[in-house]
Amino acid sequence: MARIGVDVGGTNTDIILETFPSDSVGAGTFRHKVPSTIQDQSIGVLQGVLEVCDKAGVKRSEVSTIVHGTTVATNISIEHNGAEVGMLTTKGFRDILHIGRHKRPHNFSLHFDVPWQSNPLVKRRYRIPISERILPPFGEVEVSLDEEEVRQAARKFKEAGIKSVVVGFLFSFLNKDHEVRAKEIVLEEIPDAYVCCSCEVVDAMREYERFSTAAMNSYVGPKTSLYLTNLERQLKENGVDADLRIIQSNGGLATVDSCCEKPVNILMSGPAGGVIGGNFFADLDEEKNIITVDIGGTSADISTLVEGDIKIMNPRDSYVGGHPVMVPMIDLITIGAGGGSIAYIDEAGGFQVGPRSAGSMPGPACYGRGGEEPTVTDANILLGRLDPDQMLGGDLKIDPELSYKAIKEKIADPLGMSVREAALGIIKIVNNNMALAIRSNSVAKGVDPREFMLMPFGGAGPVHGPALAEEVNAKGVIAPPAPGITSAAGLLTTNLQYEVTRSYLCELTSIVSNQAESLQLLLEELDSEATKKLVKDGVEPDRVKLTRYAECRYHGQGFELRAEIPEGELSQSAIKKVVENFHVQHDTDYGYRYDEAEVELVTLRVVGEAASKTLEWKELEKSSERDAKEAIMYERETTFAVGQSIMTPRYDREKLLHGHVVYGPALIMQHDSTSLVPPGWNASVSRFGNLMISKNKLTYGE
Amino acid sequence: MTNLKVDPITMQVISGALDTIAEEMGHVLYRMSFSSIIRESQDLGAGLFDKNYQTICESESTPMHIGSIPAYLRGVEKTLQDGGWNEGDVVVHNHPYYGSSHTPDLAIIIPIFYKGKLVGFSANTAHHIDIGAATPGLIIDVGDVYAEGMLFAGLKLYEKGKKNEGLAKMITANSRASVQLMRDIEAQIASAQLGVTRFQQLLDKYGEDFTFSAIYQLMDYSEKMLRNKISEIPDGEYRAEGFLDDDGRNRDVQLPVVVTVKVKGDSVTVDLTGSADQTPTAYNVPFEGSCKVAAFAGFRKLLLDASELEVPIPSNEGSFRPIDVFAPEGSIFNPIFPAAAEARFTQCNMMIDLIIKALAPVLPGKTIAGSSAAISFASYAGLKDDGDYWVFLEVNEGAYGGRPNSDGPDSIDNLMANTRNNPIEDLGMHLPMICDRYELRDDVMPGAGKYRGGIGVVKAQRVLTPGFITHESERHTHVPWGAFGGSEGAVGKCDIYNYDSKDDVKSMPSKFSGYTTKKNDVMAFYAPCGGGYGNPLERPPEQVREDVLDDFCSVQHAYEAYGVVLDESLEIDRLATAARRSEMGG
Repeated sequence: MARIGVDVGGTNTDIILETFPSDSVGAGTFRHKVPSTIQDQSIGVLQGVLEVCDKAGVKRSEVSTIVHGTTVATNISIEHNGAEVGMLTTKGFRDILHIGRHKRPHNFSLHFDVPWQSNPLVKRRYRIPISERILPPFGEVEVSLDEEEVRQAARKFKEAGIKSVVVGFLFSFLNKDHEVRAKEIVLEEIPDAYVCCSCEVVDAMREYERFSTAAMNSYVGPKTSLYLTNLERQLKENGVDADLRIIQSNGGLATVDSCCEKPVNILMSGPAGGVIGGNFFADLDEEKNIITVDIGGTSADISTLVEGDIKIMNPRDSYVGGHPVMVPMIDLITIGAGGGSIAYIDEAGGFQVGPRSAGSMPGPACYGRGGEEPTVTDANILLGRLDPDQMLGGDLKIDPELSYKAIKEKIADPLGMSVREAALGIIKIVNNNMALAIRSNSVAKGVDPREFMLMPFGGAGPVHGPALAEEVNAKGVIAPPAPGITSAAGLLTTNLQYEVTRSYLCELTSIVSNQAESLQLLLEELDSEATKKLVKDGVEPDRVKLTRYAECRYHGQGFELRAEIPEGELSQSAIKKVVENFHVQHDTDYGYRYDEAEVELVTLRVVGEAASKTLEWKELEKSSERDAKEAIMYERETTFAVGQSIMTPRYDREKLLHGHVVYGPALIMQHDSTSLVPPGWNASVSRFGNLMISKNKLTYGE
Repeated sequence: MTNLKVDPITMQVISGALDTIAEEMGHVLYRMSFSSIIRESQDLGAGLFDKNYQTICESESTPMHIGSIPAYLRGVEKTLQDGGWNEGDVVVHNHPYYGSSHTPDLAIIIPIFYKGKLVGFSANTAHHIDIGAATPGLIIDVGDVYAEGMLFAGLKLYEKGKKNEGLAKMITANSRASVQLMRDIEAQIASAQLGVTRFQQLLDKYGEDFTFSAIYQLMDYSEKMLRNKISEIPDGEYRAEGFLDDDGRNRDVQLPVVVTVKVKGDSVTVDLTGSADQTPTAYNVPFEGSCKVAAFAGFRKLLLDASELEVPIPSNEGSFRPIDVFAPEGSIFNPIFPAAAEARFTQCNMMIDLIIKALAPVLPGKTIAGSSAAISFASYAGLKDDGDYWVFLEVNEGAYGGRPNSDGPDSIDNLMANTRNNPIEDLGMHLPMICDRYELRDDVMPGAGKYRGGIGVVKAQRVLTPGFITHESERHTHVPWGAFGGSEGAVGKCDIYNYDSKDDVKSMPSKFSGYTTKKNDVMAFYAPCGGGYGNPLERPPEQVREDVLDDFCSVQHAYEAYGVVLDESLEIDRLATAARRSEMGG
């Protein structure tokens, strides 16, 4: 019953295999890494899955579950190569998708691009207006659906070879009859079409955001479902008859069927595993307040977890490729700062790092692949924070001279500073960019980083950890046991999860009894809907955990915040509690509450979860002493933040045991990552192999 | 001591921190607000200012607000209650002859004290839906500034932390939408308070002298970026003229706008001499808080285009310094007290459009064809069943002129405007209004060119109760121009009719005040379309065909303006196209 986690990144596909005592090789975990196959991710995934089985000596038939984090849907939206989509929309409103919210991407620009106009999800020629009209605020029909117009439009789509159709009518969140009927007619005309209604994809008010979400679903749908069903088939053909599960943007797992129906839910599948993996490894050692920083080649994904809680973003704030996508996503921010970020001097003499990246081609100057611009990796090499002969265990060929040359010519000489100062500057600026993003995801939301551990991972993460922690005043750093596969491991720790929503506007503070009854009924419906989805995936009903939210605002406001609904029946006192939860959330987020104002419900949301089996991560052997001298590999000079270069020992992380303490200055080396312990800091090895790096001695694992 | 040496690295750190503070202030303000003009349209500005009222940083919200707050602060200095600042004071200010942008844009200003000493100000401005003017929401046809509603000049809503309840009651009693007004003011206070806290934290971290040294060097940096660009323009005087439809009362009397851009070295003066005299209505522009701000924004768009900069320039005082603005006293751009001056937006947008036009000969690769350069600002109001007013302010979008390398964007806020629309569904759920149509215009074609002009919108809004509409728009008579061989765009229009008798259409002027509506009356606004850039015959026939397929262009327009002949199945007839294009001189 072995399980595999496969995380596809921009450069590498990371694989983790977990086996159990009942498996032929006994219990254990195995790691593997293959280059990502960008054209068709499934090639790399399949290769990685088969190779990791061979490497571990596990039979393919022993694999029972594969959990997959994929950027396939994201890439379609970035590369604009989705399906040709047809749209049926309310007559008089053909251009909701073209107009958007009519705000420009830049205040001060004449030559700006408007992504929703230059790369529309549905071309205007295929947006066909249909006579129909539903009226607010109760959803009565003013003009009934003209079925013949729908049929004609469907035939036109058929002629144009269109196989993906979205139906988006105004006020369908009040009354979905027209959308549902139009979908039926389209399917009568084009039986093999991929058709979705806006209210089925997201049942929420605000036409542009709802249509955009549904159109995105139709745009990425056909290709994404083809990819997923192909992958499933190929795995089977190769003897891997496992359940394939996909991680969604909200961190929950879903079946292939469900993702084919709503691929819009896996647009942020890629970074989700990292947040969950970070949380998992921190939780092993009972750290609940962490800031995860997943640093790759071009970007860093940052998320703040309070009390071990992965925060889900307000769907109103979710955008993909410039298009709003109102689906639950983990609250994380991605910034253009990573190992490949390029340092340069702008025309007015400003010293900048990123967001442009050297990527993997040409890559940092030191890769010797023709890159002449200095990158963050070059600065780390120059400062002796990364050892050129140890990159990927020595598999990656590095020329430190090229780093020196690039930094000298492009930064140090023009600014009249030493090369070392320039390299320190590059690190400081990129760290600062990340720190600002960390703050906007933490401090800006009322979270005090002094109560948090910073958790850097991705191969390039741990070398930046201490400086970032210091910059944001975090209390310390946790370098997880396997920084390079933290995301893949995260895939084996998350739960099956579905969210269902219903738009329902009503006053909560002064709720009238018949509305309270409707609310109770709606909530019951949502509960059973969420439960049904899980049961369909083979979950026992009594294992289903439901969490319910009221998305509320003060009457008259435009933005909702989430208030949790207490378990059980929605009594008057439960509603009072929801109102109070909302006041508290408002105060937390904005520093103010309007006690006199009416609290209005906008959307009900129920999250159904079923706990999966969690990755079993073995404890490290306990060391008999604190001193870790035996793990020392060699010593070299390393330059630290204040500019002093110190002879610094390198430790082999493989040899570190629980209870060992490494005193800075030190570098702790492993195959795909280097952890930095600055002078005055120390790293203690926890029970589960996390490095707890801080200025003050920690007692974790003792 | 504020000229300490700041290393380039710390400079970036402080610059980023200032940006984040301003963005956070703006974010809190619109998230918390109640009226749709702030929460959905984001008609607001927020930032930090030094003791001498220089902008330290400002949020990227609406351009009209960016750069206006220093003028408010200078006005507050002349009018401040008790004459001095104390910790815990909160000042409200909107007097257009003491620096405000216009009366509905209330500023909330909180002094920032550090170690017992005044070091600067945290402030924001936001457009409020009703401050008790002669007509609900907006006003145009009124006689003087007193008809614009409550005037606040340096008034303390909080004195040393204690709320001035009398003033609050007075505000509440003088607005048709007093609940929203007061709550939005509270949101402004929360936002400004956040700015104070964040700035004090920054001073704690880097020290007062060092932080201000960095701030002043950042101002110099922004200034230098802009001066570098100005000095690339050949010295000289560049002139362009346009005109406005009327003053909102005296129909058929057009008002000239004359812009002379005087470039000398790395400085520029915008001289508005020759523009119309001030009007007897509210169709005038407050000089300090609006006219100058528009000129600053115009040059920043033109010369420091954010989409072409690798990193944004810090939004601070430096970008204002190289630009001087002159408008004769008593002119529409510099009215004399007590002239009313609430409706000032379209004149500002026309000024920017003309700055671009004036510089076209020397900046062909940067300038664009004529844009809608107007705004549609509509106020819908009526009485609810309980006797309370409902008021809705809506900003409708315009369209851009064709550009040197791309088509003018369609249906999008233009030049000085950059708000968000109010979702149709949100509107329908909260107010007695229904939107009947919201899509691209199909009654006219935009300017033709190698790159076509943007297409304006049509928006038809139905009111379900009797009430009033006031509408401030422009360009019913002055069509957006084409550039470098592109053809002109299309003028805007506005109709009112009743939903139950749609054929009985009343054609409205671009500006009207307090029009009395019946139940089910519909106002349909048609935005002007942008002019084309470059010779239409240089537009590839394939692209013209694509536009026809998307109904951005009619078959007839493809033939007449572009010389592209399409057959019945909308394929290009190559021979006929070549013949037609050669006949047209291509």
